[in-house]
Amino acid sequence: MTTDEATKSEGEVQAAALAERGEDITPARDRGVLKIIKRPGSEDETPMIGDKVYVHYKGKLANGKKFDSSRDRNEPFVFSLGKGQVIKAWDIGVATMKKGEICYLLCKPEYAYGSAGSAPKIPSNATLFFEASRAGAVELLDFKGEDLFEDGGIIRRIKRKGEGYSNPNEGATVEIHLEGFCGGTRFDCKDVKFVVGEGEDHDIPIGIDKALEKMQRGEHCILYLGPRYGFGEAGKPKYGIQANAELVYEVTLKSFEKAKESWEMDTKEKLEQAAIVKEKGTMYFKEGKYLQAVIQYGKIVSWLEMEYGLSEKESKASDSFLLAAFLNLAMCYLKLREYAKAVECCDKALGLDQDNEKGLYRRGEARLLMNEFELAKCDFQRVLEVNPQNKAAKSQISVCQKKTKEHNERDRRIYANMFTKFAERDAK
Amino acid sequence: MPEEQSQTIMAVDELQAIIQRCVAGQKCLEDGYASQLLEVIQNEKNKVIIKNMGWNLISPLVRCIFMYKQEDDKREHCLKILDQLAQLCNPKELFLGLLEQIEQTSGEQVCQTVMLLLQPLQTVLLKLQNKKAYSVGLSLAMIMNQLTPLPVPYTKQQIQEDKLGLCQCCNAVVDFAKPFVSEVVKNMEKSSEYNDMELKEELLKFCMKSLKYPLLTAQLEQLEGIEEHPFRRFATEIIDILWNIRELIPLVFLHRKGKSPHWENQEFADIEQKNSAESLACLSYLMFVQRFGIDCFPMVFSPSYLLQCNMTHIEVLLIRTEESMLSKGLDLFESCLLRMENNSLLHQYLEFRGFINVPQVLVKVMTLCPIEHLRKKSLNILQLFIDKFDAEGKYTLFRCLLKTSNHAGVEGYVIKNIKDQIHLSLMKACDNTWFTGQHLISLLDLVLLLPEGAETDLLQNSDRIMASLNLLRYLIIKDCESDNQTGVWTILPKIEQNFLKPLHVGLNMSKAHYEAEIKNKKENRREAHSSNTVCSLTVSGEKMPAMTTEMQLQVLHSALFTFDLIESVLSRVEELIEVKIKGGMDENS
Repeated sequence: MTTDEATKSEGEVQAAALAERGEDITPARDRGVLKIIKRPGSEDETPMIGDKVYVHYKGKLANGKKFDSSRDRNEPFVFSLGKGQVIKAWDIGVATMKKGEICYLLCKPEYAYGSAGSAPKIPSNATLFFEASRAGAVELLDFKGEDLFEDGGIIRRIKRKGEGYSNPNEGATVEIHLEGFCGGTRFDCKDVKFVVGEGEDHDIPIGIDKALEKMQRGEHCILYLGPRYGFGEAGKPKYGIQANAELVYEVTLKSFEKAKESWEMDTKEKLEQAAIVKEKGTMYFKEGKYLQAVIQYGKIVSWLEMEYGLSEKESKASDSFLLAAFLNLAMCYLKLREYAKAVECCDKALGLDQDNEKGLYRRGEARLLMNEFELAKCDFQRVLEVNPQNKAAKSQISVCQKKTKEHNERDRRIYANMFTKFAERDAK
Repeated sequence: MPEEQSQTIMAVDELQAIIQRCVAGQKCLEDGYASQLLEVIQNEKNKVIIKNMGWNLISPLVRCIFMYKQEDDKREHCLKILDQLAQLCNPKELFLGLLEQIEQTSGEQVCQTVMLLLQPLQTVLLKLQNKKAYSVGLSLAMIMNQLTPLPVPYTKQQIQEDKLGLCQCCNAVVDFAKPFVSEVVKNMEKSSEYNDMELKEELLKFCMKSLKYPLLTAQLEQLEGIEEHPFRRFATEIIDILWNIRELIPLVFLHRKGKSPHWENQEFADIEQKNSAESLACLSYLMFVQRFGIDCFPMVFSPSYLLQCNMTHIEVLLIRTEESMLSKGLDLFESCLLRMENNSLLHQYLEFRGFINVPQVLVKVMTLCPIEHLRKKSLNILQLFIDKFDAEGKYTLFRCLLKTSNHAGVEGYVIKNIKDQIHLSLMKACDNTWFTGQHLISLLDLVLLLPEGAETDLLQNSDRIMASLNLLRYLIIKDCESDNQTGVWTILPKIEQNFLKPLHVGLNMSKAHYEAEIKNKKENRREAHSSNTVCSLTVSGEKMPAMTTEMQLQVLHSALFTFDLIESVLSRVEELIEVKIKGGMDENS
């Protein structure tokens, strides 16, 4: 027998075995996905929805022809479970596996690529077979909690999946049950109704607001918050939380009502809401809650920046809101040390009002902190052109000049050393 | 004379001798004594001098090579000299000399020079020990920089002609890079922790640059009569390189925002991400439309997820105005949609920014793009997109398009789609709460009205108005008052107030206005032939001829015709309403 024939008959045998003895793991019990365990897993736990799973696999068509294998890429295949990223058969199948388990899966087209197939290798209405070879069939290597923003700041483990896929958006009204833990001790437990982005009003850290936008109705999950998404440097004396503490929250999203999307609101509504939102932003800013303030001012930008067809009166109001929003956003970003974003916002503010004193000054500040001394100096000089009395600008200009000088000195020293080093090396 | 002074004089003498030799070498070449120079260079005794000063000869050599004809012996000799220099000279200096030469060319000379110097450059780079990766990167960057201003051949004829040699040159460059790719591969196999990322990084940068230029603007479809399409070959090679250095799959999934491993400063990473957006879009196009490298791609992703991943790329391509990029965006969108079954795309996907942005961008292409076949194609793709969504998705998408498209033709098209969905719901062809009852009423509120009441410009909105009237007519006929599945009978009074009555008023006003205009023109024509042009129209810098009275009358008449059309459908609809209501009353009495 040739290798192809051998593979084919091996494939047929295994497919037949699955069809006969395989366990139907579909919720609908329609035998769309059949499974046989080749080697049981080492631990008891199965992965939860949203977990990042690492899998090795080899896939074949009904005729035995291989169409894909992770081992050919020398890398495990990674995906988020239960999110519709992979064919249905896998979301169902892998969820039943334990760590270290190896199994076979036989998948009907309705749970794979259906009538559309997947060009170029998978034809229409293909039954797929994820099968065993000496290397292993579908092997679940590992799974871990979901890193919501891929920066280690918020890790989520879902205890009970919510319904559907819809999530609260920014500005949605949510009803949740929440318990907060720090160092193993519970410091907060309540049922609360609030607007996403304004959790701070209820002593809820920004991480919860951000996480809620990825939760579903009825979901019960555990959130591990790093300090950036927790109470940060200020801590929370009210609860006895120190600065930069790591927090754990158990949250149940009981219900929510989404906020209107930008395109669903008409101009009148947007202008009304802009006034409300601007005040909220200013309130947060005064309390030093810059991340929350950014959310509020950001709404003004997303509603009005691309708004067309405004009457003259509406145009004036809109521009005034946008200008205030950009200037305030710039201030927030300066406080948050995101200087490039601060410059971007100042640019936009100056686009609306090119001689705006605050805009020029704040851009100068941001550039100074990014070590762009020449540009910063230009901005401060323009401030003086607009308002010769601005003492702060004057002193900033001297700072720029001083820093430029320091930098040049430093460069000179570095290069002087460099040439000496080269000369020494060449002489050898 | 003191010791030092005599030594200094000797050094100066030597220096002068060396300089003279260089000048002599150049003169030799220019005077046509290439073969003699070749002998001098091949002479063992001169090895040291050549090693240190040979790089000076690059510039005159290149000049001479381009001067001599193909068959000329002297050209052969010059090429041999070039080869020898690559073997004998100090690699670091020769490298700088070659690079300098490339940097100095421009215009028509660029491709020729690059292709000439690639071989010696490669030889020299392979000999470098320190800073090899940096030098390879510098060379590739420099070469691509020089090539980028050149226009990319687009039509079949341009590609066959390859006037500036760009097609040939690109493929030569990618071949030039191959030994360095092999080196990276070898190093990766040796140690599982491959520490020296530098060479790999430089190759990655080169690939990213190539994806943007020339590939993004190149025509990449198979062309009849061209056996080996140079840019298809180039694309395949680039993808090969990416696969070999293990960057292909990670790049395709770069849409996952996160800390880029290349930069410590997140802001630089953001900037890089912006610049690389077009390269990544091109990569997706190559993979999913032209199927280059698709063999390496995992075949377990759901088609919805693939569409989601590609939405950003599609958007990046569709917001451009160049045909090469627009058509790639449309092709990519189409290929993703064709992988999906109808009604399979969950409405929740509309919560992703891209899924709402892209149809709006598509509408802009449909209405504003000057290229007809692209407009047609985008319309087809819009319909495909609509078809893939589940019922709630279609519903939300229709709402969004009605509110954001600001174009009567598009609105009319959407309204026709709504009618089709209602039809399917009534036929029980699909289980549908979204196109009957309460939800439908909310949608009809958006459709069955005149945007500016009786003052709406009926001509400009005629597409939309006709579609709305046809929809209403359909509802009246299909849905009996007793059934009222669609809810149209419930809101009939509102429809009459917001739509039918103002439409009557508008039609009367418009017809009266246009009829008056026609009368005016006819009278004026009888009087003077003076052209009182109120305004003139300029298109593409050319002033359009003023419309003759005949033409103007034609336009006015056709407007009247449109009004008549609208009015006839309106009357029919009102007739039907009366009949149905009367019929209902008769039944009840």
